[in-house]
Amino acid sequence: MISAQRDRKLCDKIFSFARKKDAEVIVFSSESALTRFADNIVSQNVSNRSLEIVIRLVEGGRVGRVSLNHSGDAELKAAVESAIAMLKTQKPDPELLPLPKPLPVRENTALYDEKTAAFSPMARADRIAEAVEAAARDGQLASGTFDNGWSRVTVANSRGVFGSHLESSAAFKLTVKDGDGMGWADDSGAVVGEIDFSGVSACARAKARLAKAPRDVKPGRYTVVLEADPVANLLLFTSIYGFGGQFYQEGQSFMAGKLGRRVMGPNITLEDNGLDGPSASMPFDFEGMPRKKVVFVENGVAKAVAHDRRTAAKAKAEPTGHALPNPNPYGPIPTSVCLRAGGSSLEDMVKGTKRGLLVTQFHYLNVLKPIELELTGMTRNGTYMIEDGRLAYPVKNLRFTESLVAAFNRVEALSPTRKVKSAFFGGKFLVPAAKITDFCFSSATSF
Amino acid sequence: MFKLCEKAIDIAASHKAAFGDIRIIETRSQSLAYKNGEVGVLDDGCSLGFGVRVLLDGAWGFASSNEVTGPEIERVSLLAIEIARASARLKKGDVRLAPEPVYRDTWQTPYLIDPFAVSIETKLDLLARVDAVLRKDRKVKSSTAFMNFIREHQYHATTEGSRIEQTLLTSGAGCSVDAVDKGEVQTRSYPATHGGQSLGLGYELIESLRMLDHAERVRDEAVALLKAPECPSGKLDLIIGDNQLALQIHESVGHATELDRVLGYEESYAGSSFATLEKYGNFRYGSPIVNLVADATVPTGLATAGWDDDGVKAQRWHIVEGGVLKGYMTNREFCHAVGDTRSRGCSRAEGFGNIPITRICNLSLMPGDWGLDDLVRDTKDGIMMENNRLWSIDQKRVNFQFGCEIGWLIKNGRRTKMVRNPTYQGITPEFWNSCDAICNARHWKLWGVPNCGKGQPGQTAMMCHGSSPARFRGVTVGVRPK
Repeated sequence: MISAQRDRKLCDKIFSFARKKDAEVIVFSSESALTRFADNIVSQNVSNRSLEIVIRLVEGGRVGRVSLNHSGDAELKAAVESAIAMLKTQKPDPELLPLPKPLPVRENTALYDEKTAAFSPMARADRIAEAVEAAARDGQLASGTFDNGWSRVTVANSRGVFGSHLESSAAFKLTVKDGDGMGWADDSGAVVGEIDFSGVSACARAKARLAKAPRDVKPGRYTVVLEADPVANLLLFTSIYGFGGQFYQEGQSFMAGKLGRRVMGPNITLEDNGLDGPSASMPFDFEGMPRKKVVFVENGVAKAVAHDRRTAAKAKAEPTGHALPNPNPYGPIPTSVCLRAGGSSLEDMVKGTKRGLLVTQFHYLNVLKPIELELTGMTRNGTYMIEDGRLAYPVKNLRFTESLVAAFNRVEALSPTRKVKSAFFGGKFLVPAAKITDFCFSSATSF
Repeated sequence: MFKLCEKAIDIAASHKAAFGDIRIIETRSQSLAYKNGEVGVLDDGCSLGFGVRVLLDGAWGFASSNEVTGPEIERVSLLAIEIARASARLKKGDVRLAPEPVYRDTWQTPYLIDPFAVSIETKLDLLARVDAVLRKDRKVKSSTAFMNFIREHQYHATTEGSRIEQTLLTSGAGCSVDAVDKGEVQTRSYPATHGGQSLGLGYELIESLRMLDHAERVRDEAVALLKAPECPSGKLDLIIGDNQLALQIHESVGHATELDRVLGYEESYAGSSFATLEKYGNFRYGSPIVNLVADATVPTGLATAGWDDDGVKAQRWHIVEGGVLKGYMTNREFCHAVGDTRSRGCSRAEGFGNIPITRICNLSLMPGDWGLDDLVRDTKDGIMMENNRLWSIDQKRVNFQFGCEIGWLIKNGRRTKMVRNPTYQGITPEFWNSCDAICNARHWKLWGVPNCGKGQPGQTAMMCHGSSPARFRGVTVGVRPK
């Protein structure tokens, strides 16, 4: 594991090479390992140690940015000289912000576990073997991944900003095939010892068993009970297109011009909380600004969007600590989005449904109309018909085409328990299960 | 570099590995963009690292590092061996690699102008001028013009004796504009969406695109789309432009014929495939005029190289011939499953830090004999769509739904009004079997896909798809929530 002290020395060295020009340095260091299994065998098994150093110089409205993966003096000097040369290639941009001065940043030290960072290939294989052998005993096929590792991100600038964040991570994801039935479950966290391997195994295997011999189902509008994973993936797109300050300022967000107005149902409260609780993450952004809690939607009313320094300056607001590495074309993006819990368990949601569908996962989501958040995607790994308050039979997968803005106005229930889910492009989403009425499924598939 | 490689090869051999290899890769990359009148992206990157792969006790181990030194190569090689032993904890049989001759050779992407020798000032100046044209309408709320260049210098050494040095160069550029009005966002791009056009070429590609000549049209079409009527819903004959058809090929044929997916090795992530082994050689994938050819030798292709990352020489073969499924994307490990004794050479990794996996090769729809004007004249009630905006396909590559940036209705052989938010949905074999006309070679173009994601950990690969516009009968269009 790389220490914050090493990164501080590295950054100071780069600042000294920068000939008193304003310099920002982002250092990404990591060691990650992943064992992949399929068809009840280990199919891929990898480990990677990596380093990336991103140097950005800012002078007189001009910017130069270089990146490299070596920390030797000669390489660093050459990279800085290249960035200095880049400064001369541009016309000054009067709107380019100077680098910020430091603000107090709290630390999230509880997200690193030595044992998780160092979990061995054989230990991963042993855990996987338990799930594979259990599946094989029932004539099922298991596939999935078990990954672990650590990562450190350091953000510093020559005006005194310095933040360094260390996290360990582990995740066990299991897909089980039982004839023509598919099931899926996962668990993840900063501490490998807290992962419920047997629970994941039992859940995925039971779901696959229950999904055998799926029946055809007609597309149309159905009440859906969504488990936490599909909810997280819907929120991923809501966060990118809805809550980022740049999309808002460009008029491309459904929130644009609607702050203070009702945009979702009264049971919907969405916030970003990277500071504490299960969605805690890096406590500063890629400009080194302290991350703040931001409530985007409160009881259905649009309240705020996430800002980096650039969008904050335009909005005459404070940055919220959601900047991506600059310069970038997307602006700020929230990555620790939490949906407030409700009072109805997933089981109660099913019990209270006359006719509807229970969805385990969504697959391959994409956006057609960003302002309406009109998405399409498929169900996956266990879709079940609910009739008269019980799971009646499994159904073949369906494609949905739905406006999320409209759907979040039809959320009938949310569960009291929430799970942290990493959606398709990452992030930590703290979400309950949800019941939504009249969800539009536009076509069907053959399995 | 090959001297450093020997350390890994010696360690693999001394542990009696059935196969071992090391790839040392040095990468130079440059990304530039102007966005909304400002420098949106400016990054000049370089990286160096290596990855070691070992096949021991019948199972794979892979490890990589950014420190290219003798001691680190030794550490990583031993770690790869430890990982292979752990992999052997769960196996049904030993991994067996199809034989391939030993090569000691070099290969380089042909190009005219080294993009890294063109000044950043020149590049930014062009991008700024394009961006300025794009922004000349008050309804334009977001504009961008961009370029990307990557040069990858690979040294690949295997325990079998191959020593292959390759230098792969890719260049890409494009521009895009978002017009916004009254709750509607419309996007137009040139020459294509999702990274513009990328090919295995030098800066001559950027010059040939003539972005400045197209910026005004792109902007005006985006603004015009704001007031255009919605794409009608129903069944229409669909003429798909060559760029959108490239993505259709990618998603509904390319991924579906990756043999690792077919065999279930991607089940937990990207999914599997409907194109299962019993269909090999007899399944009617498309109509008799549909011929799809994989080709790692096609000039300017993004997957064009001398060898793949298993050290297999570049090849050309049919995936679909006369509408029938005739081939798969294979590597040395899985090609036995279809009775092949040699890999097709589709094993590729992103950079040094990833293990090679089965990837789509350059895959193209062979041209037919129609002129585009004749095809439109021959269409009574149809729609043309161009440039992708939305893509989604199920985990077996059966049910897909695509959205395009722009559509034009066709009535009685004439292209009539522009429509916005055009979408279409279909079932892969039904769709390709509905193809009744493909435009000729004059309309055929190779399109780059620079961002194909697959694998865990996630990897990005590049490939090209060539196509000319083609017509599909009775397709469901205008899909929206009802």
